[in-house]
Amino acid sequence: MSHYTAPIRDMQFVMRELAGLDEVAKLPGCEEVSPDLVDAILDEANKFASEVLAPLNRTGDQEGAKWDNGKVTTAPGWRDAYKQFTEAGWTAVACEPEFGGQGLPKLIATAVMEMWKAANMAFSLCPMLTNGAIEAITLSGTDEQKAAYLPKMVSGEWTGTMNLTEPQAGSDLAAVRTRAEPQGDGTYRIFGQKIFITYGEHDMTDNIVHLVLARLPDAPEGVKGISLFVVPKFLLNADGTPGARNDVHCVSIEHKLGIHASPTCVLAFGDNGGAIGTLVGEPNRGLEYMFIMMNEARFAVGMEGVALAERAYQHALAYAKDRIQGTEMGVRGGPKVSIIRHPDVRRMLMSMKSQTEAMRALAYVVAAANDAAHRSADAAVRAENQAFVDLMIPVVKGWSTENSIDVASTGVQVHGGMGFIEETGAAQHLRDARITTIYEGTTAIQANDLIGRKIAREGGVTVKALAAEMRGVLAQLAEQQGDAFVAIRKSLESGIAALESAVEYIVATYGKDIKAASVGSVPFLKLLGIVSGGWLMARAALVSARRLAEGSDDEFYKTKLVTARFYADHILSQAPGLSYAVVNGAAGALELDEAQF
Amino acid sequence: MKILVPVKRVVDYNVKVRVKADGTGVDIANVKMSMNPFDEIAVEEAVRLKEAGVASEVVAVSCGVAACQETIRAAMAIGADRGILVESDAELQPLAVAKLLKALCDKEQPTVVICGKQAIDDDSNQTGQMLAALMGWPQATFASKVQLGDGVATVTREIDGGLETVETKLPAVVTTDLRLNEPRYATLPNIMKAKKKPLDTVKPADLGVDVAPRLATLKVAEPPKRSAGVRVADVAQLVDKLKNEAKVI
Amino acid sequence: MAILVIAEHDNASLKAATLNTVSAAAKLGGEIHVLVAGANCAAAAAEAAKVAGVAKVRVADAAHYESQTAENLAALVVANAAGYTHILAPSTAIGKNVAPRVAALLDVAQISDIVAVESADTFVRPIYAGNAMATVKSADAVKVLTVRTTAFEAAGQGGAAAVEAVAAGADLGLTSVKGRELTKSARPELGAAKIIVSGGRGLGNSENYHKLLEPLADALGAALGASRAAVDAGYVPNDYQVGQTGKIVAPQLYIAVGISGAIQHLAGMKDSKVIVAINKDPEAPIFQVADYGLVGDLFEVVPELAKAVG
Ligand SMILES: Cc1cc2nc3c(=O)[nH]c(=O)nc-3n(C[C@H](O)[C@H](O)[C@H](O)COP(=O)(O)OP(=O)(O)OC[C@H]3O[C@@H](n4cnc5c(N)ncnc54)[C@H](O)[C@@H]3O)c2cc1C
Ligand SMILES: Cc1cc2nc3c(=O)[nH]c(=O)nc-3n(C[C@H](O)[C@H](O)[C@H](O)COP(=O)(O)OP(=O)(O)OC[C@H]3O[C@@H](n4cnc5c(N)ncnc54)[C@H](O)[C@@H]3O)c2cc1C
Repeated sequence: MSHYTAPIRDMQFVMRELAGLDEVAKLPGCEEVSPDLVDAILDEANKFASEVLAPLNRTGDQEGAKWDNGKVTTAPGWRDAYKQFTEAGWTAVACEPEFGGQGLPKLIATAVMEMWKAANMAFSLCPMLTNGAIEAITLSGTDEQKAAYLPKMVSGEWTGTMNLTEPQAGSDLAAVRTRAEPQGDGTYRIFGQKIFITYGEHDMTDNIVHLVLARLPDAPEGVKGISLFVVPKFLLNADGTPGARNDVHCVSIEHKLGIHASPTCVLAFGDNGGAIGTLVGEPNRGLEYMFIMMNEARFAVGMEGVALAERAYQHALAYAKDRIQGTEMGVRGGPKVSIIRHPDVRRMLMSMKSQTEAMRALAYVVAAANDAAHRSADAAVRAENQAFVDLMIPVVKGWSTENSIDVASTGVQVHGGMGFIEETGAAQHLRDARITTIYEGTTAIQANDLIGRKIAREGGVTVKALAAEMRGVLAQLAEQQGDAFVAIRKSLESGIAALESAVEYIVATYGKDIKAASVGSVPFLKLLGIVSGGWLMARAALVSARRLAEGSDDEFYKTKLVTARFYADHILSQAPGLSYAVVNGAAGALELDEAQF
Repeated sequence: MKILVPVKRVVDYNVKVRVKADGTGVDIANVKMSMNPFDEIAVEEAVRLKEAGVASEVVAVSCGVAACQETIRAAMAIGADRGILVESDAELQPLAVAKLLKALCDKEQPTVVICGKQAIDDDSNQTGQMLAALMGWPQATFASKVQLGDGVATVTREIDGGLETVETKLPAVVTTDLRLNEPRYATLPNIMKAKKKPLDTVKPADLGVDVAPRLATLKVAEPPKRSAGVRVADVAQLVDKLKNEAKVI
Repeated sequence: MAILVIAEHDNASLKAATLNTVSAAAKLGGEIHVLVAGANCAAAAAEAAKVAGVAKVRVADAAHYESQTAENLAALVVANAAGYTHILAPSTAIGKNVAPRVAALLDVAQISDIVAVESADTFVRPIYAGNAMATVKSADAVKVLTVRTTAFEAAGQGGAAAVEAVAAGADLGLTSVKGRELTKSARPELGAAKIIVSGGRGLGNSENYHKLLEPLADALGAALGASRAAVDAGYVPNDYQVGQTGKIVAPQLYIAVGISGAIQHLAGMKDSKVIVAINKDPEAPIFQVADYGLVGDLFEVVPELAKAVG
């Protein structure tokens, strides 16, 4: 059986020592945040995640959500767990207090979210999508929409969905065809089909609030002609309670590689005269609103990467300690040992562990920057942090999710043949992780965004500033004693250099040969992720060395030092290779004629 | 009616403790600490009594190091109204804790004290009984059901081989068994509210209690390891071994 | 120097736990007195007088001692505590209820659940659910101890102690017992059971599983478990499964019947205190972890065993 316990110690460490929880606590509106409050929240969230959500992960995978004649029944235990989840107030962590949220900083919400996702990713998608919908209405909704929907969604009484994708419109949302016809009374009738809608239909709540991208009759072609609508499953009565059934129906659900318990729905709008909705914000600006909100959603999917990597690591570690096979290398006639004694198994476990910690560090640092970007009283501080967040969101999304697949796959490998057998549970993490690089924009879409809008468009200003900040750590590393720090510094230095030359190439090439630059976009995204992770692991090593020098004998710090060194030697050392591919890789990718494939 | 609930900070029940190599104790440095599970049940029971309108106030008390505040906050997150920390870095043994609690009971005048039946670290199973003795109150230990009436409590107790229902006069001490209730998950709003609930700190000296330990721990060792197995010839020998060697039947 | 043992009894007879407690007392050195407090408890007192090593039985016979409520019992013990260096009770529900009360009234520490006596003031007791053993020394004049009965032999018979009446104390009237419900039916739950009888594919089919294992489990007051192979073959529902992907158990006694001992099964029960394996294959891996292995045909062995312990 696979157990999950949140890595609270590492979460606290990253929050306090790398992400600057103290600084976040000084931001306007965060006055209540204190280390002991954070600890209490983490403790209680861990309890809920490990005791309520984690045990359902496996059965959810086996049983899945079921569709019958338009109705979707969630996996056994889901309804109860969701009820408990809402009653405990976990839907409202970072939401606006005005609508019943706790208004806690993103940094805290991120750690809590990691737990839900690690414990039970398929479950966690429901509150995640609801949050996206809350965000969209909060940012762009009318006062009536806010009053009608937000309190119920923040409390979890109703859930929300995001309806972007259509059969012909996936990565390319400009191709959205769903129509919205104005009724003259302020409402619209929506016609069209949406596919792949997560939790588009389920049996856990009285109402579901769909946010739908559609075109108005006079809308211009392409991305500039898409508007956003709110379409509830049940129309609201005058008193705000759910009334008549709206004309949106779940036609089927998908059979998937993973996240079986998360219903992925085909939704038909307007089969019987039109689904009634109201416009969110201004006409034709829907995609713009979506993008603001999508940052949050992309970040959240990035957290899925972190979370699944953690879960896969915990799973593999337990097995590696338990499984006896062979004798210890170099020990003649010795006793049979657990496989964790074999060097290659250690290498696998360390690569899982170190990458997971690096991804967590980056995600939390970005979350804290997001708090500063939203809450700081100083406009310059807000702008600077926003630029960093914008730069790093595609990295958190793309790098963490791509890694999570590798990490979960390594987890299967640690299990040997047993890993390939579903019963062990290791394979589920791999299957579940597989979607994370696809939805909310594939890795390629993240990478396009990264090199285009986030780097080339501004001449690489933000990423260069980041590289300069990373260089600042090199001097501190040089002051430390010992082989580990020499190794970390060397690897980080060449990693930063590799990043800088790749940035130079992209800035120089993007304008004149966008295709050539784009071949390297995904390798570049990984490069930036790996080097950022190396930078934060180096900082973690410095903090740990300092704490140990101050007299702490906490194993955590000793472990962190070793983990940071492993990361530098095994992961960060890949940076020059990636940089080489970015700078030199275009020709090989683009040269073949289609017919030659 | 006021209910006092003592809560102890202990090594989390999921942690498998390791005996220190030098045999001076178990290694609890950097180990996850939580509220003693039996105490959590006690808090839950008290809060339910309050929610049912039977009790008017629930006071959580913890005796120990400053970090016991967290344990009190956890009790408040479940629903305790306020907290008292009796802060001491000294090793507090059950008798000392009972005396501290007595001093607080004299001051607070609760109608019921609900304790966990034992703490999962020292496994003593003493404090509630000792407090009752010092107060001259009745005790209803190992409770699996508690009903509070006018001046009396009706308590179902788990005893060897079954259940026993007793009636005790109030005020009284009740100690909880595992089946009394299933503690709720604290809600996020209540975790936040707990931060603002009043928490007083006193020292044993303020209460006039001498907490000097009466027992010295000379050594802590690993439990004996499983001895190599043997084959038995027949059922008779097996039964004999189980009865007289292993003493498990 | 004298030692007082608080007897565990039901008025009509002495409970076995008293015998183990007397053995623990005997390790302390000193004259052993047994206090029998009850109502119409002469028969129990007479039994106590026959326990080897007991020098004196003191009987307090009064209606308000009938159910040995802690308040009245503790007051009685304290009123008669003079001259005793040690006061012992078994670690039973009654013993655990009364001993701390006695200790507090005497203003001394109480030492719970001792498993060994090192000297008159030094004892070994489990802490952290038995994951560590602490040796503790008491500085108090009177040592109040509860005794883990499984750690001490039962004292033998053949004693001829004097039986002496003790004046009953007043009825404090604090607690009264309204009723008792002693369960003797339903099997314990797998996770909490002290004894588990677990069956594997060796049983052949569902009918055999029930026919053979239920009588044994009933005789032992045990819970029933199973290997995955037995669950997969439909002998029992899947919540019976013990192992890596089933329940993890650690009872006092785990009896594996017709289970080969695959690593996944062992993962779920290897922390059991005592493991018994019954298997016809002498090479079955289960024997490597079993404290007691019986090689034989389960269809013969199990009914015999059920009879022997019944
Ligand atoms: C389980 C699941 C849940 C989902 N939940 C939701 C939901 O709740 N709401 C919702 O609206 N949608 C949802 N989706 C849809 C999801 O967001 C899309 O599948 C995703 O955006 C990719 O679109 P597509 O499937 O059409 O792939 P395509 O766009 O056809 O992509 C195919 C391949 O081409 C690449 N590609 C496409 N365009 C480019 C480009 N410009 N540059 C480089 N490479 C490119 C992609 O990277 C990919 O490798 C979900 C999907 C799944 C599978
Ligand atoms: C991913 C995975 C997870 C697993 N998880 C678990 C788990 O949680 N729990 C679990 O139990 N298993 C688990 N297994 C299965 C495990 O590997 C074994 O297959 C299983 O435990 C075998 O069950 P068994 O001992 O009853 O059957 P067998 O291995 O077939 O053993 C039957 C035994 O009965 C004996 N026998 C037969 N007839 C008699 C007789 N008349 N008298 C006496 N003895 C007799 C035989 O000698 C033999 O030793 C798992 C396997 C996998 C792959």
